[in-house]
Amino acid sequence: MPDRTDLPAPDAAPDAPRIGVDDWVAQAEERRERGRGVSGFLGRGWESSPASAKLLVLVGLASTLPFWLNEGDLFSYGLYTLLYATLALGLNIVVGFAGLLDLGYVAFYGLGAYTYALLSSEHYGIHWPTPAAMAAAMAVAAAVGLALGFTSRRLLGDYLAIVTLFFGQAFVAFANNANPKVAGEGLTGGSNGIANVDSLSFFGYELHTTEQYFYLLLIVFTLAASALFFLNQSRTGRAWRALREDPLAAEAMSMPVNRLKLLAFMFGAATAGLMGTIFASIQTAVVAGNFDTSLLITLYAIVILGGLGSISGVIVGAIVINVTFEFLAPSSGHPELKRWLFYGVIILLLTRIRPWWRAAAVFVGTIAFGFAVHAIAHAIDPSWTSGHVVDAGRLAGAIEAWVILPTGKAKFDTVVYIGLVAAIIVVTQVRGWWRTIGMIPTLYLVAVVWENVLVEQPAVTRLILFGALLIALMMARPQGLLGTARVEIV
Amino acid sequence: MRKLLFGAGLVAVVATAATAAIAATHAPATHAAKANPATRLVKCGNTHLIGMAFPATGDAASLGQQQLRWALFFQSRWNKTHKAKIRIVQGDTQLPNTAQALSVAHQFASATTMLGVIGPAGSQEVQDTVNVYKNAGLAVVTGSATRVALTRAKTGKPRETPANYFFRTVPNDDQQGQRVSNYIRKTLKKSRVYIIDDDEAYSQGLADQVQKLLRASNASVTRDHVSQSVSDFSSLITRIPSNTQVVYIPWQLAGKAQLFFTQLRTAGKSAIVFGSDGLFAPGTFTAPNSYVSAFPVDFNSAALKAYKKAHANKEEAFGLPSYTAGLVVATAIEKACKDGNVSRAEVRKNIIQTKLPKAATLLGFAVRFLHKNSGASQGNGDMAAPANFAVFRIAKGGKYVRVS
Amino acid sequence: MHLPLLDIIDTIRTLGWGGAFELARNGIVLGSLYALIALGYTLVYGILKLLNFAHGDIYMIGAFIGFGVLSAFGGAGNPSIAILPLVILMFLAAMLGSGLLGVVIERFAYRPLRNAPRIAPLISALGVSFFLQNSVLLLTGGQRYNYGTFELGGDLSTATPGPLFRPAFTVDQRPVTWVQVLVVGTSLGLMVALTLVVSRTRLGKAMRATAFDREAASMMGIDTDRVIASTFFIGSVLAAAAGVMFGLYIGETYHFMGFLAGLKAFTAAVVGGIGSIPGAMVGGLLIGLTEAYATGYIGGQWSDVAVFGILILVMLVRPNGLFGARAIQKV
Repeated sequence: MPDRTDLPAPDAAPDAPRIGVDDWVAQAEERRERGRGVSGFLGRGWESSPASAKLLVLVGLASTLPFWLNEGDLFSYGLYTLLYATLALGLNIVVGFAGLLDLGYVAFYGLGAYTYALLSSEHYGIHWPTPAAMAAAMAVAAAVGLALGFTSRRLLGDYLAIVTLFFGQAFVAFANNANPKVAGEGLTGGSNGIANVDSLSFFGYELHTTEQYFYLLLIVFTLAASALFFLNQSRTGRAWRALREDPLAAEAMSMPVNRLKLLAFMFGAATAGLMGTIFASIQTAVVAGNFDTSLLITLYAIVILGGLGSISGVIVGAIVINVTFEFLAPSSGHPELKRWLFYGVIILLLTRIRPWWRAAAVFVGTIAFGFAVHAIAHAIDPSWTSGHVVDAGRLAGAIEAWVILPTGKAKFDTVVYIGLVAAIIVVTQVRGWWRTIGMIPTLYLVAVVWENVLVEQPAVTRLILFGALLIALMMARPQGLLGTARVEIV
Repeated sequence: MRKLLFGAGLVAVVATAATAAIAATHAPATHAAKANPATRLVKCGNTHLIGMAFPATGDAASLGQQQLRWALFFQSRWNKTHKAKIRIVQGDTQLPNTAQALSVAHQFASATTMLGVIGPAGSQEVQDTVNVYKNAGLAVVTGSATRVALTRAKTGKPRETPANYFFRTVPNDDQQGQRVSNYIRKTLKKSRVYIIDDDEAYSQGLADQVQKLLRASNASVTRDHVSQSVSDFSSLITRIPSNTQVVYIPWQLAGKAQLFFTQLRTAGKSAIVFGSDGLFAPGTFTAPNSYVSAFPVDFNSAALKAYKKAHANKEEAFGLPSYTAGLVVATAIEKACKDGNVSRAEVRKNIIQTKLPKAATLLGFAVRFLHKNSGASQGNGDMAAPANFAVFRIAKGGKYVRVS
Repeated sequence: MHLPLLDIIDTIRTLGWGGAFELARNGIVLGSLYALIALGYTLVYGILKLLNFAHGDIYMIGAFIGFGVLSAFGGAGNPSIAILPLVILMFLAAMLGSGLLGVVIERFAYRPLRNAPRIAPLISALGVSFFLQNSVLLLTGGQRYNYGTFELGGDLSTATPGPLFRPAFTVDQRPVTWVQVLVVGTSLGLMVALTLVVSRTRLGKAMRATAFDREAASMMGIDTDRVIASTFFIGSVLAAAAGVMFGLYIGETYHFMGFLAGLKAFTAAVVGGIGSIPGAMVGGLLIGLTEAYATGYIGGQWSDVAVFGILILVMLVRPNGLFGARAIQKV
């Protein structure tokens, strides 16, 4: 019998199911440890309080935001977070509750927005009262959601995904390119979209400022979250969960599977339609470019990062993703703060190395390595260290003495960036002493790349960091932040 | 019991939110800086902030990054020769997704030390965000939003931006369209024209204008569209009749125009290719015997030679008006700082009175802004004469020669 | 009010048989490129049930490597070695580089998530895609490069094409250029090679076994890690070849090209029946032809909507894709 060297070693793949071991029992002691102390007490208190209390705390905190954030920050961090959170809640119904991969979700958002814009703007001169226009937008979105849901009767899994994707792309193509002439005007306004959309006005109270829209979104978000919570507890919610876990068994249990799928599509579409109307009036215009694939990716990232099917997960996901995204945007100011934060995060990651003396060795080693390289480069050719740091404030002097900042080296950026990526890949694949030693030049390279390449291009950097964040989060917690780890039965 | 608890919690939440909302919107100024942002005085220090709203990422990234290169080139040149430095704060608008442009606008509006804005790059973005800028007292000077309706009201509709807040350092679509159709009909004397737009606002505006003017002068015009994401134009070229004399492509991407030309010739069709200012890129669009309409840039000037040297011999001009826009704002700030304090309203007032000499603007003409409607298609915020487009012919070897 | 349908019929008649041939030629050339990329998607999906969103960006990197090699030898206007060895070198460099990149991505971003819920590697793939695209954006400043193969051996100032762009043969006065023959021929050759590898070699048999049941295959003594790495390598090699061919045929190389091509190829893989190799090939050709005919007959305004409409109809008629087997559901 040949040597069996290909069976997975016991601790080589920590995520693989281990034969003969009950993980849940084995981790009982760990759980008891976590419940001790102040943080444990708070954690248990939070977990045992009813959902309404949690929502109340969250909404209470959120409603204080306009008092300590300036208008621009409130808009980017508050308004958009709530908007995406509620949109993601709607997506959560289709993907998280019912398990249907809907890649055309943003089209419903667009349908709601365009319908509202057509009914309340100068485009056709129609100005329906807000409640009627919102209801019409939700109805249109739900109707189209129903139509799309019919395709889910024949299509399963990835095939449904692709048909919904086609639908999403077809909607954008229709709005941007096709723009058929209806009653004398292009229906969707083509690439210019529809402008001068009325603001929302409820019973004579018109909404104009960011704060007013923030509170409106907060109210809508609360209602949506509560509605979803109830929906989750209801019979339909349980039926959806059964459908998600095992459609065949659900059907065998006489659940109306087709009707459930249609219902999921409709609810998701109606939520998206509602948010579309709010968005249209915030922007006072609608453009086809608002409903492109990047929004879809953001929403999916929120839902999955938070944990599929978990309402609180969606909220946490929306906060994490939108706040990170907006914070890293170049226009959000505080460039020095970003630098402090960057180095702070690196040092924080260093502290996760056990034991402590290894972490200290890496830290000291990196600093020493940096000074050494700086000195050597300066000795070889002063132009290697003659550059200046952008936006450094108080740290400028220290950084310029430590990091090499060449001027006039054309390919430097490319070489050092690719070198960094290669170094990171190598470091994560080796183990033990090699890894510790390899970290030192890697960390130095990180600083070099940051100061030379990334700081000058903040907009692109945030997308790169976003991609890296997605990868890292999936490695750390594949079930999402608040999702439940799935147990695979071997 | 749980449902009751939840219901009670829900009512409490709604009540809290509603009360807070009413409180926030009716209470007197509770949080800081409720003073009028337009007239708030900022001390003139060593550095002044100018915002730049442009697409750094997304579909239009190649154009936005070009505008950024020109704006940063301006920043470095200005900072070398002035004591009070300029710092450009970037705002990524991810054109054509205007939601980000709105977020950038709010961020810029709230940045108390920001004094003026270069951009936004797209006409639709301008329309959606100009009111945010107006409420904050910021003037916006764009180098690429060319829609006519932004400064000149169309029949039955108001102009799309408030007067004296929006300025552009690039002539508008009507001016360019007029130049092009005149040249095609009167100089080239061609009458069978095929117009292809690339499905976004800049292109469609120009194509509409040229189509209208050509049809009015009895040329036979066919209009077609292609998406910006297409690089294989072979099926589109199949549609073009072989007896077409001129193909007008008001596109934004010079590389695509080059591809279009080579594919057109490979298919055996001999129509002349005529492009708009987006294609003015001597390093990229080198199709011989083609025409491009652009501002009368002098590529032999010292400034442009310096740009070429600093950017690995890249010769590109689409982003040049962003340089001029930066110059307009920086000059206005410098003038306002003569008394030691500066406010956004002061800067805006100075921008309205801008007078920049030809040599400084790099555009090939002096820059002054109109205060009211002028001619058939210009309005408050457009540049006054002699700002206009010129027509260039591409000679053998890719050299651009001005012919009109 | 004139009916657009009449316009379409009019266009069909004006273009005639020659036009129809041209459109078919365009569709087949571009379709074979989509098919090559789609093969990568389908191979990886078959083995890991993973939709590798980063695959389109591997195609983009392949195109960039090819461009890099071209520039290193002087660029299309002034190549310092003969055309044929230059083209072969571009292919080899791109295929090797992208293949390596594909293997590294698998090792780094997907292997740790092998036993995680299906959606986790999907998000990781998305993260990798973002990372690759924006890294290239960072390093190139968004610039769109052009292979410029029209000038390879030709002269732009007189608009004489190089040998690649001269007609190999003509049908009804419509030319089929050498580069088009090259693209279709190479794609066919690679597809045949792949089919042979999958059906005749031991590696192919291991791939089929791993696709069928990964755990059983590993228990049968197959090194599944190596098989999976080889699958990624092969898929990336095909994508890189498609990238270089796209560069030679069309030429435009920029950071975002992978996203769009990847989307179309992913569509092709699914429409053809995901997991099925002949399905990916037919799916790619279908998409290429549909696009060509929609653009040619319907014109830019409605062509995109028409293409999506046709694809939705195809999916509704064959819900498991063209070649997808009707999955037998075990109860």
